[in-house]
Order: sequence, then structure tokens, then C-alpha cells
Amino acid sequence: MAVLERSYKRYEGALSPEWSRFLIIPQHAFRDVFRSKIFTGLYAMSFVVPLAFAILIYLRHNAEALAILQLNVVNALPINEQFFQVFVEVQGWIGFFLALLVGPQQVSRDLTNNGLPLYLCRPFSRAEYVVGKMSIVIILLSTITWVPGLILFLLQSYLEGWSWFSANIPIASAIFLGSLVWIVLLALLTQTISAWVKWRLAASAGLIGLFFIPSVFAAILNEMLETHWGNILSLGMLIRNVWSGLFGTFVRQAAEVREMRRGVVIRQVLLTEPPLWASWLMLFLICALCLWLLSRKVKAYEVVK
Amino acid sequence: MKTTSESDKTIVFDNVSKFYGEILGVNRVTLEIRSGITSLVGPNGAGKTTLMNLMCGLLRPTRGQISVLGVPTDQPELLFRKLGYCSQFDSFPRGLTGREFIVSFLKISGFTQKQADQLAEKSLTRVDLLSAGDRKIGAYSKGMRQRVRLAQAIAHDPSVLILDEPLNGLDPMVRAETIALFKQLAADGLHLIISSHILHEVDMMSDRVVLLNNGYVVAEGGIKGVREEMDVEHPVQVLIRCDRPSVLASQIFQNSDVVEARVHDDRKGLFVKLRNPDQFYLSLNKVVADGGIEVESIAPVDDDLSAVYEYLIGAQ
Repeated sequence: MAVLERSYKRYEGALSPEWSRFLIIPQHAFRDVFRSKIFTGLYAMSFVVPLAFAILIYLRHNAEALAILQLNVVNALPINEQFFQVFVEVQGWIGFFLALLVGPQQVSRDLTNNGLPLYLCRPFSRAEYVVGKMSIVIILLSTITWVPGLILFLLQSYLEGWSWFSANIPIASAIFLGSLVWIVLLALLTQTISAWVKWRLAASAGLIGLFFIPSVFAAILNEMLETHWGNILSLGMLIRNVWSGLFGTFVRQAAEVREMRRGVVIRQVLLTEPPLWASWLMLFLICALCLWLLSRKVKAYEVVK
Repeated sequence: MKTTSESDKTIVFDNVSKFYGEILGVNRVTLEIRSGITSLVGPNGAGKTTLMNLMCGLLRPTRGQISVLGVPTDQPELLFRKLGYCSQFDSFPRGLTGREFIVSFLKISGFTQKQADQLAEKSLTRVDLLSAGDRKIGAYSKGMRQRVRLAQAIAHDPSVLILDEPLNGLDPMVRAETIALFKQLAADGLHLIISSHILHEVDMMSDRVVLLNNGYVVAEGGIKGVREEMDVEHPVQVLIRCDRPSVLASQIFQNSDVVEARVHDDRKGLFVKLRNPDQFYLSLNKVVADGGIEVESIAPVDDDLSAVYEYLIGAQ
């Protein structure tokens, strides 16, 4: 066969920046995700809490409404760091259930169908692929955690005044950082489980197990050894301590055990939470482990020995 | 060593080995692939897909160097501007139409929405799938899915196209059309590297073949050239259709180029194994004329890829 010179000209125009290409992955994933009525319903319901918190903030600044409703919200519910921490915690756990529905299928589908070469035969790295897949969870959960959290913070600032805003800037950073740490942790865990457990239901069960089984183990350990250091094994307690640290509500001395005989204290044990740095370190190690596990599994080809 | 301008036009494997732990993928492969259609042929596990993955930079060689039109395979940003890959796996993101599939992967490659739309239109037209472009891939037939995968591989106008089992699942009509498309792409100056198990089609479309077995390249080049190099170990076999094959057999044995002669089961032909076919054909004229034998046809029976494959790989 005669081989001729190329008879067409290749595109030589401008390309989109490399850093932005991972965002193509969530574009189509969202459409797929919102096809599920269960997910869409749960996602819509996740805005009930922000709405309720917004109403509480509004009522606190509306004397007329308070008078009509005969409520004394000002004393009962001060709008401070604890108010916003409760918001972050509630929304964080709602986000956990949303991540359960969305996360476990993302990587496993590509791995099961040998679809990774499709992505990796582009100017697109394994890291960009993982970031793209994680961004599905990160973007979705951002819309129900730190984004409404900061809107609530701004609403409160608007109603309370500039002085409140400037005095409480650390709350805004705690809302953002606390939510982000939780979201990134969830995104990493869901993608790692998705990469290693190809069956979606088993992956979801695995994620639930990862949160609750170590918590039970931690509780048993705490009870047996009369300590709170077991909490270092519980993801729920770890993130709670991190949130408390960020909002400035963390107290190390959590409880006290007293053994009494005939009204006399014969033994007293102070139960202290692990220090904050230990919780951060543990979260960091979990994230590093997830990244290592992902790097082992997210490859263009699996070598069957 | 090749000069820069030469290596810019070829795919070069320089003493490349790939081991998966202790398992051999390919070993000591030295190849130079020019434009046109090159087929990788070999049994399962021979190393065809490993070789393709090495070319695509999906695998790093354990030893040796690979360059694709002058670009080392560890530079994806440059490499994938020049290279398109169509894997053998029937895998698509869920819920996309054919057009969305191509557009989204073009966007991952860095094309703008407008440019991706134009290129997708062009590639869908090329694989004759334009009318079905806006239908969900889930509703496509196997042949259509194969074609849409091909469309995404050629959408960015690559210079090198790597196709893993591209004819699988296609009906004869579509297969013929696809082969015609490959030939057209090769005529446009592309390097097409194709792996296939369908030997007679490989034979029909390939400019050259690379035969692999157990991770080693056992032969490479044009099929005719490879066959000629084997004629000492495997003499060429021809079938002479004639009225008196036994007489012809006794006559031709006087020719030192004839290694073996066997009468066909229907007793209307003679299989002859021989070396130096050109010399034999000259002497055959004389034998036929002197013996008054009526020859109907003379045709080689083992100068195609299937025979080469059988001799080199099938026997092992």
C-alpha cells in the first residue's frame, strides 16, 4: 500500500489549562447521580437543617416575631461557636449518608469494566483521575456543609452587625476548614473502598463498618482500660475532637470515674481525651493510607498473576 | 542509532523488556514501526496488549526505551496529542450518548467545548455513526459500540492509532467497512497498530506484521518477506491441479529443489514442498511439456499469515 503524506492538519489551537481538566469527570457524574430519586430526595432534605438554622437566626433578631411566638430564643439558644458547631456536625453526618449513596460506585465501575485506559490514554494522570472522582463527593457535600454554613454566618453577621463579624471570623474559618476536612476524608474513604470493593452494596456496608465497628471497639477499650484514648480508633470521635478544636470548644478532661465505699472516695480516675494533635495525626495517617491504597489499585491495567 | 528526523517518523522499541514482578510481559523487543498498518499477532498471553500498553505509556518498560514519533512515552501531554488508543474493553461511562462520550473525552484532553463539538461531529461522520450520535450508548449494538470507541480514538486527529482487537463483534459488512477505514487512515499517513485474532483479515489489511509468542517477537516484516525467510525450515508448499498427479510426482522428483510431493486426496492434484520456487517453476514448464500433462492451476497454499502463524507459533 502506498503511504502518502498526511492529508489533513491537526488542531493546533489553544487548549484548556491542565489543572481544570479533572472537572470534566463530575460534570457527567452529577447527571447520573441525580437520576436516582432516593438521592435527589435525600439531597433536597439535607437543606431542611440549614433552613431551620436560618429561621432561628432570623427569629433571634426579630423582636416582633419573638413576641408573637412568645419565645425567648436569645437566652435558650445563643448564636455562638457551639451553634455553628452543631450545624457542621449535623450537616456532616447527613453528608456521610449522601456519600454512601454516591461514592462507592465511582471508581469500581471503571475498574470492573476496564474503563481506566479510556481516561489514562489522554494527557490525564492517575492523580487527576482520582481528584476528578473525589471532586464528585467534595462538590456535592460542599453545597450542604460549608457553603450554607458560611451563608448562615453571613446572615448572622448582617443581622448582628460588623463588630460581631470581625469578632467571630474564627467561626467562619472553623466552618470551612472543619467541613472540608470531613468532606475530603469521606471522599478519600469512599473512593478507596470503591477501588478495592467492586460490589456497590458491599462497598457501602464496608464504609458504614469502617465508621461504626472501630467506634464499638473504642468504646469497649475505653470501658475496660478506664481511658478515652480508645477514641483514637473511632473515626466519629476523631472528627468530633477536630471540630471541637477548630471551634474552640475542645475540653481534654472529658469525665471522671470515682469509686466510693461507704461514702468515701477510694479511687478516682480522670478520663482525658487524646490531645488534638493526636486526632489530627490519626486523620492524616488515615488519608495517607487511603492514598497509598488508591495508588495501588488505580492503574490502567490490573496484572492477573 | 536512528537520526532524530528518522525517529520522528517511526515508533521505536529499543531493547524493551517488561516484567510484572517475576512474570514476563515482553522481552528484548527491538522494533521500528513505520506508517501504514502494522498488525500484532500472537496467541493469548503472547504480549500483544503489553506491547500496546507500553506504546501508550500505560506501562513503563522494565528495561529499554520507547519513543513514539520522537516522543518518549513518559511525556503524556506530548504523547497523547499524537496518539489515539482504542482498548478491547466494552467500557463506557454510564448514561452518555455517543456524541457526549466523544466530546467529554476530548474535553479531558484539553479541547474547548466548541472545538470538541466540531471534532466529535467529524469523527462520528468518519465511522458512519452521525445519525446515531445522539442516542444513548446503552442502546447501541455491539458493532456500534465498537465504532464509537474507534471514533473517540481518532477524534483528536492522532498520527498514531493503536487498536486492540478492533474487529471483534463486528458483522462482516461493518468489518469490511472498518477495514476500508483503516486503509484510508493508513493512506492518510497514520501509523495504525492493530492486534487481532482474525488472521485472514490481518493478512488482507496489513502492510506488515509482528508475530509474538511468550513475550518474544518471533518474526516481523511483510508477510511475504517473513515467509521467504522461513523456507529452509518450512519449504514453500504449492498445489498443482493436473490430470495425472502420480506421473508428475515421479518427474519432478528429479528436481533437487523438491523436498516432498504428495498426491491430493481427490487424485486430481499434487502437493509439492519445495525450495527456490522461481527455479522450480521454470523446470516445471519443461516437465509438463515433455510428459504431456495437463495442468489446470498452480497455487501456493502456505504463503499467507495463517501458515506463517502455524509454522512459527502453532507448532510450539
